[in-house]
Amino acid sequence: MQTWIQILFSSVSLFFVLLLLMRLLGKRNIVHLIPFRFVSYIVTAVIAALMSLNLIANLAFGFIALGVWVLFPLALDYLSLKSKWVHDIVNGKETVLIKHGKIMEENLLQTRLTGEELLRELRFKNAFNLADVEFAVMEDTGDINVFLKSDKTPVSAHGLGIKVAPLAEPQTIILDGNIINEPLASLGFNTEWLDIKLETSGVSLDNVFIGQVDSSGDLYLDLFDDSVQLPQPKVKEMLYANFEKIQADLTTFALETKNEAAKQMYSAHAATLQQLLKKLKPYLLR
Amino acid sequence: MTVASQVKQTIATLKGSQGTLRLYASQTRNEETKLVYKEALATTETIINDLERRMQTLEYQEPQYKGN
Repeated sequence: MQTWIQILFSSVSLFFVLLLLMRLLGKRNIVHLIPFRFVSYIVTAVIAALMSLNLIANLAFGFIALGVWVLFPLALDYLSLKSKWVHDIVNGKETVLIKHGKIMEENLLQTRLTGEELLRELRFKNAFNLADVEFAVMEDTGDINVFLKSDKTPVSAHGLGIKVAPLAEPQTIILDGNIINEPLASLGFNTEWLDIKLETSGVSLDNVFIGQVDSSGDLYLDLFDDSVQLPQPKVKEMLYANFEKIQADLTTFALETKNEAAKQMYSAHAATLQQLLKKLKPYLLR
Repeated sequence: MTVASQVKQTIATLKGSQGTLRLYASQTRNEETKLVYKEALATTETIINDLERRMQTLEYQEPQYKGN
């Protein structure tokens, strides 16, 4: 057999074998690997490259080496799932670098990180000021994660004491002018509902690039034709405004009427509506 | 505009809002939100009932404006 055919054959077969093996190893992000895993990937890649170029005389030897470098990490993964002890030996433990706002110099020395490098890593996490950092830890992957002092953390609705409505993830139901049936069905809608929605906004299905339904059931559309101005869903804001109007109406009626019983009825309802508005506000406006 | 027609208008707005509210109550996926909408629906229902009763009294008092 000619050499080039041999190389072609082994390269093509290795291409698929390697694809399969890498799928077997899982979908872990290559950036957040512990250094050892990174090395094992490289060794696998080099062995495969050598085999594909026929630099390893006996292909069986190559497959043995490849098998070891793929199966051993896999076995270690399963073992560390089962036992914390193995996990700690394989992955190591995270190292606390800053505690209570103070840098732990011994731990810094242990991770062989200079002060400048630490500051650079903190800046990556948007902590330019060391005084803002309450706690920082080096993960087993070498990433540094930062916990800011509580007055420097971004404000949340909880911190401001505001009630917000719970939101679930939006579902994409139209992509490239095609209806995706599975998410549509999981929302409990059907294509007829979608047809009605599209008709009310005056768009044909093949003009829609992306259509998403948020957790309250409102449909957001992005069109191919950007010159078409679509009204964005503002139904909830309108609903809230309507309730405010009704509440004001009731208050007016209560002031205007001379009938004592009616006056009481109006003002009682105005008060309940006021309370209802307060309750609905997070759901309709935020 | 007479008082009766003003009340009638408010009832109409209330009924419209109730419809929208019912739509949201049925299409929202969150149980907590659904409960809040349902509670709002019940409140609007009682208000509509009381306003309609008041409406009848008003129409009885000012029959010349009936239907306006």
